Amino acid sequence: MTAGRRRARVRRGIEFLWMTAPAVIAILLFVEVPFLMSVMYSFTKWNGLDKAAKFIGLANYKELLATDPAFGSAMIFTLVFTVLTVITINVIALLLAVILDMKIRGKNVLRAAFYVPNIISLIVIGYVWRFIFSRGFDSLGSLTRMGIFQLSWLGDTHLVFFSVVLVSVWQSIGFYMVIYIAGLQTVPRELLEASVIDGTSPVGRFFRITLPLIMPSVTVAVFYSLSNALKTFDVIFSLTFGGPGTATTSIALDIYKTAFSDNRFGYGTAKSVVLFLLILVVTVTQLNTFKRREVQA
Amino acid sequence: MRRPRGAPAISLLMAVLALVYIYPLILVAINSLKTFAQIMENVMAFPFQLRWENFANAFTLMRYPNLFLNTLVVTCMGTAGVVLLASTAGFKLSRTRTRVSWFVFLLCVAPMMIPFHSFMIALVKVAKTMHLTNSIWGLGVVYWGLGVPLSLFMYHGFAKTVPAELDDCAAIDGARPLRAFFQVIFPLLQPVTVSVIVINAMWMWNDFLLPLLILGGAKKSQTLQLAAYNFFGLYKIEWQNAMAGVLLTITPAIVFYLILQRHIIKGMVAGAVKG
Repeated sequence: MTAGRRRARVRRGIEFLWMTAPAVIAILLFVEVPFLMSVMYSFTKWNGLDKAAKFIGLANYKELLATDPAFGSAMIFTLVFTVLTVITINVIALLLAVILDMKIRGKNVLRAAFYVPNIISLIVIGYVWRFIFSRGFDSLGSLTRMGIFQLSWLGDTHLVFFSVVLVSVWQSIGFYMVIYIAGLQTVPRELLEASVIDGTSPVGRFFRITLPLIMPSVTVAVFYSLSNALKTFDVIFSLTFGGPGTATTSIALDIYKTAFSDNRFGYGTAKSVVLFLLILVVTVTQLNTFKRREVQA
Repeated sequence: MRRPRGAPAISLLMAVLALVYIYPLILVAINSLKTFAQIMENVMAFPFQLRWENFANAFTLMRYPNLFLNTLVVTCMGTAGVVLLASTAGFKLSRTRTRVSWFVFLLCVAPMMIPFHSFMIALVKVAKTMHLTNSIWGLGVVYWGLGVPLSLFMYHGFAKTVPAELDDCAAIDGARPLRAFFQVIFPLLQPVTVSVIVINAMWMWNDFLLPLLILGGAKKSQTLQLAAYNFFGLYKIEWQNAMAGVLLTITPAIVFYLILQRHIIKGMVAGAVKG
């Protein structure tokens, strides 16, 4: 190798280094190192204040799997919540997208209306609905005399589950609707027009032509709704703070409480490793299953 | 496609549905202008005299101007940093075809699969060690690490559409690499930059948990979302001030949305599909 070429290689190397190093350092410092630390701390007993954490092997994992009712109920809540919200969100968002993709008057304003809750912070959304459930439903109840408005939507341990689902769905539908509208716009018009001539019914047309063609959007939307539901936190934090009792405590909120209220940092990190594994397994499975269903136009 | 039969009927039906859908927000607006007694009496009634004092109260109670500025600083600093780090690294990694480059790329995008809640406890410790806690500047810096992976991934994908001849042009002109990048390449990446700005700005403006952890928001709140949290956490909620506070908190995001509506929708979809 000549000196000139070597110098060029060194120069390219230096350029590569200073262009990528800042990003790599930021990611290492604030995501990857903390994540690896979490995995390590999950084998320790650590209260966050002591300098040294005490190694206790798998004791944290044994505790959370076998003897911690709080984590068990958080797990069940999160899984049921996830199934219900993912299905509801995707069905309604897809339906709205199909309707608002038609040539109807005012569709841009209508799309914006359904999208608006998505640009408001989840923490504020929770408070808005606390107001609606308490004061708003009071007034609606005395006005309409309908029973559903007179129930205790945030006080009843069973009903509160549906309140949390309702608010989460309400907040996020707009986002998924937009993903589906983007997908619908990629469906070739000729294919749909051909099927009109063939005399296929609109419903048959949707299931046999449109839906298979927008499977990539379905994959993306289900992926996002799944991982967001599995790590749901903010809305619950402001709407119920996991209550009444632990009725609406999600895994993410349970981790927060374990670490920052009970000061059991080591145990909290074990829970957070479980959450990571749960989300990883669920979303990778989902992506694999859904990708196989995607077809080309 | 033709206008479907019954389009006016669908239009009308959807308009009614949309109104019901955003009715909770309409109620917030109505009740932000009432007295406490009027709210307790009937939430749906229109306010007969408009109480603008509620807004003045919320304005002072939340220390709105201060916190607005704080939130703006965090958002701008976080977003600017993410754009800078992600564009340079994303472009360079896309141009360099070596095994090292591929490894670095994987290292940079793998965090997209790590949920925030699974490393937040240790992140607080790291931030404390680096003296980044209790400071809005520190918060802005932490956002760099959290925001770069997705943004870098988007830049990396888009950089392939920028012809490689341009790199050489810039080099032959004798421009220093840094200047060449920002003068020649960066402007061509503008579509991604817009998406990256939108995604990150909306997220950082509305984020709650990271500010809570880094700023320890319990007593004196330092961002608007933390202020909303403390405002509502009061023992006895003064609904009229709280509703005005909600409106004040969400207005900046809504204005941002109305101005950049098209870009926001496009950016959100791009981020979702690319991610």
